[in-house]
Amino acid sequence: MIKRYLSFMAPIITFLLLLFAWELIVNFQNIPKYILPAPTDIFTSFLLNYSDLLRSTFITFRITFFAFMIASLLAIFIAILFSQSKIIELSLYPIAVIFQVTPVVAIAPLILIWVGLDNAEFAILILAVIVAFFPVLANTNLGIRSVEKNLSELFSLYEANRFQRLFKLQLPYALPFILTGMKTSIGLALIGSVVAEFVAGSGTSTGLAWRIIEAGNRLDVPKLFAALILLVVLGVILFLIMSLLEKILLKRWDIDKS
Amino acid sequence: MFKFNKIYKEYDAPILGPISLDIKKNSFVSILGSSGAGKSTLLRLASDLIKPTSGSIEYANNEKPNIGFVFQDPTLLPWRTVIDNVLLPAELTSKNKKLSKEKAYFWLSKVGLEGKENSLPNQLSGGQKMRVSIARAMFQDCSLLLMDEPFAALDEVSRNKLEDDLLDIWKKNELTVLFVTHSVTEAVYLAQRVLVMSSNPGKILDDVIITEKRLRDDGQQSSEFFSKINYLTNILKKEKSE
Repeated sequence: MIKRYLSFMAPIITFLLLLFAWELIVNFQNIPKYILPAPTDIFTSFLLNYSDLLRSTFITFRITFFAFMIASLLAIFIAILFSQSKIIELSLYPIAVIFQVTPVVAIAPLILIWVGLDNAEFAILILAVIVAFFPVLANTNLGIRSVEKNLSELFSLYEANRFQRLFKLQLPYALPFILTGMKTSIGLALIGSVVAEFVAGSGTSTGLAWRIIEAGNRLDVPKLFAALILLVVLGVILFLIMSLLEKILLKRWDIDKS
Repeated sequence: MFKFNKIYKEYDAPILGPISLDIKKNSFVSILGSSGAGKSTLLRLASDLIKPTSGSIEYANNEKPNIGFVFQDPTLLPWRTVIDNVLLPAELTSKNKKLSKEKAYFWLSKVGLEGKENSLPNQLSGGQKMRVSIARAMFQDCSLLLMDEPFAALDEVSRNKLEDDLLDIWKKNELTVLFVTHSVTEAVYLAQRVLVMSSNPGKILDDVIITEKRLRDDGQQSSEFFSKINYLTNILKKEKSE
């Protein structure tokens, strides 16, 4: 019980001690706010700007969420196509790899031109989808291909058709793999939406990346830190939600997936 | 039940053959042999999962029987409950659609899993999982049961219990069993007939009829039981040393 309590409290106490040390160093060394603001300065800045910051957080969340959903559904659909036809896989997989290895900042201007400068948010969405897409595709593909030979033979013995095999064996079997891909993908969707906003700007809507740029330009470093912290918190919450979802959905699976 | 007529199987190299074999209806046949002798390939050929490179398989009345296959691992779907795993053949095979849920419950109770119907596979022991696998095979009214080292991964007590339960199921049903094993004792204990296979490529080295029945419970095995075990062990040893 004490051990459990300690393992829960230890990281929190360490974090609070670090914040305290940070506060002390900044105050005693008289470090200017535009170099390194104290935690209390950041908190004050958050209170002063919370309406803007929370609105931006919501915008970033919205883009991240939709990018993640679109990327996941598209990737699973394409992985299913791959499983049905080797020719489709051989034709499309290299294109997916090309998208994966191309830095998003390099194609951002192009996407922005194509969708129009007025549609910056749509451009960011496309870029975030491109970044988040590949891990789900690769993992789903791997999961579908990893079906045990004996299970596959069992379905052959029972004369299962293509759809029965896909929906009653391959996809459920691949679920742990799909969720692993989605856990990676949700973080990448957030990174993608932030990086894309840095490059493409945000047009009419302003996400957290834009707040960071804006605060940086004005040397309002406490606000910059506040936006950064919100970004981290958003990323952690999204990851935790995915982890929880994984835990609920995989309750039925053996750890060794046997 | 079925006949193998000069069956050959090769992938990059010859795996099996020539094998000619006649399996009688309602018989219990064990297949013994070292690893790589093609025992599993023989079962897959018998089940029509793979096709022979040459030769033919002739089923009685030219009709493929209802085949149950029990693999070395239980091949259960981990996301399905025990009862849903047993019901799988009814969902997949059109001719099995009429099989009822009551029948699945019946077979689960037959293999000693009454009350475990709604458990998940990861809540069962290795022996229990194998019992589900046997129940699933029997549920679909199979007349030919192919078993590929099904008890190899189990402890001795579970293994002995399952062997006896399997014999009981075989005796009480119209069932032909083809049972692959590494264990000479298991082969002699279970079967009426033991086929010994050589490797590279797999061929039938000997075909031994077991007439005397065994009595495990009181520990009194017949002298024939032991002499057959010695005989088969010597064949396997000789085959391995060549």
